[in-house]
Amino acid sequence: MIACLSIPGFDLKAALRKAPSLALRPAALSPEPGGEPLIGPVTAAAEAAGVRPGMRLGEALATCPRLVLVDADPAAAEQAWEEVVRSLEDAGFAVEPAATGVAYFETRGVERLYGGLEPALRRALAAAGGWDARIGAAGRRFAALAAASVARPGQLLVVRDEEIGRFLAPLPLTLLPIDRRRYEELESLGVRRIGQLAGLPGSAVAERLGPDGRRAWSLARGGAAARVRGRRPPSELAETLEFPEAVANELTLRRALGALVETLVARPERRDRFVRKVALAARLVGGGSWRRALTLREPSADAGRIRIALAPKLAELPGPVLELRLELVELTEPAGRQLELLAAGAEDRTRLREGLRQVRASTGSGSVCTVVEVAPWSRIPETRALFVPRDD
Amino acid sequence: MVTDTRDTRAVRTAGRLNEPRPARVEPSFDGTPQRVNHQPVSLVREEWRVLDRWWTEEPVLRRYFEVVLETGENTVVFLDRARGGWFTQRGA
Repeated sequence: MIACLSIPGFDLKAALRKAPSLALRPAALSPEPGGEPLIGPVTAAAEAAGVRPGMRLGEALATCPRLVLVDADPAAAEQAWEEVVRSLEDAGFAVEPAATGVAYFETRGVERLYGGLEPALRRALAAAGGWDARIGAAGRRFAALAAASVARPGQLLVVRDEEIGRFLAPLPLTLLPIDRRRYEELESLGVRRIGQLAGLPGSAVAERLGPDGRRAWSLARGGAAARVRGRRPPSELAETLEFPEAVANELTLRRALGALVETLVARPERRDRFVRKVALAARLVGGGSWRRALTLREPSADAGRIRIALAPKLAELPGPVLELRLELVELTEPAGRQLELLAAGAEDRTRLREGLRQVRASTGSGSVCTVVEVAPWSRIPETRALFVPRDD
Repeated sequence: MVTDTRDTRAVRTAGRLNEPRPARVEPSFDGTPQRVNHQPVSLVREEWRVLDRWWTEEPVLRRYFEVVLETGENTVVFLDRARGGWFTQRGA
């Protein structure tokens, strides 16, 4: 069985941990800075007042003038979610996190340990205690997600293989991962339930709605039996730098980032492993937080390369920073980077270099040039690039 | 003593790529090219204007044409209104 643990509105719940009294009042996660003014998840009190997640901010405030906006705290949410996932892993489940607040795991390996499917799921629910989690289980991944989406807080909902079709049929189309316009298109055609979509011919759906529609149709019929791949637990290597006062200067932040990278890469716990994924987090003035994760194109232990990869992220910081934190999220094993016995194209490069050397010898210094782009955006073609003599 | 002449043959300065080259263009009454470097134009594929650096003492005011010559060659020419005269240019 594939189980799906879902904690709706996890980001809001994590942000409300600092102000628990707001959980009982109409509150919503404030829109992302720089993005569309759409509110995030809302509390039950806000929902009762008519506010829906994804509403425009103005509309939400007009609907419920008492609505309190809570600033997102992505770093705290990430940390809290990591605690939930680790707690599940400690209980013996191989967890595949899908998003913050949604994770899949396979129960087959632990059913005997806990004495059956239901006790195993109860153990998982207990591992995510305090978050109003709910679990859906089914033979197919999408059916498990759908079951978790309709379950009540603290409820286990198991859908047997023979019941999948009947279970999915009355559920709304909004559970399917399709574009809003596609959803509206289907609704205008009178298709509002998953069962109605599943009853249509697949080729007709694909023709009308394209590949996304075909995928949604396939999910409406239960979806493919995809396996759950448990994640590799992240490493716990992190360094934090606290500033004596809030810093907004990019140069200072770049230097701080450089210092963090140098320190972290030099940590003995890293040993000979290479860094595959890093995360940069910041605590902002006013209590908010910010976090960006980055997977390096090629695992590296070179501080310079990691710094260059991360530096552009600093420009995305929404405000002055009180604390900068760098985490090595994923490290490869020492054997994870296989060096080539013979570098690809090495012979071609040697021949090219020799050819250029001969051209230079016969025509003189400065005759071999390299093209350097200086203003590729320019509307004047001759100012976009220069050719610069090279003698190396 | 034999002097090394190699270094004196090439000047080590960076050059511009796709620098405009003077062209002989015969325009028609509406300003579109009819002949480019003595080759008749069979088709004007595109026309656009570039107005830039108007705030400097060397403004750029060009009327570009992408043309196909009767020989089949595809080329870009422009009339430089600031300097006067026609030019061909690659990479436009």
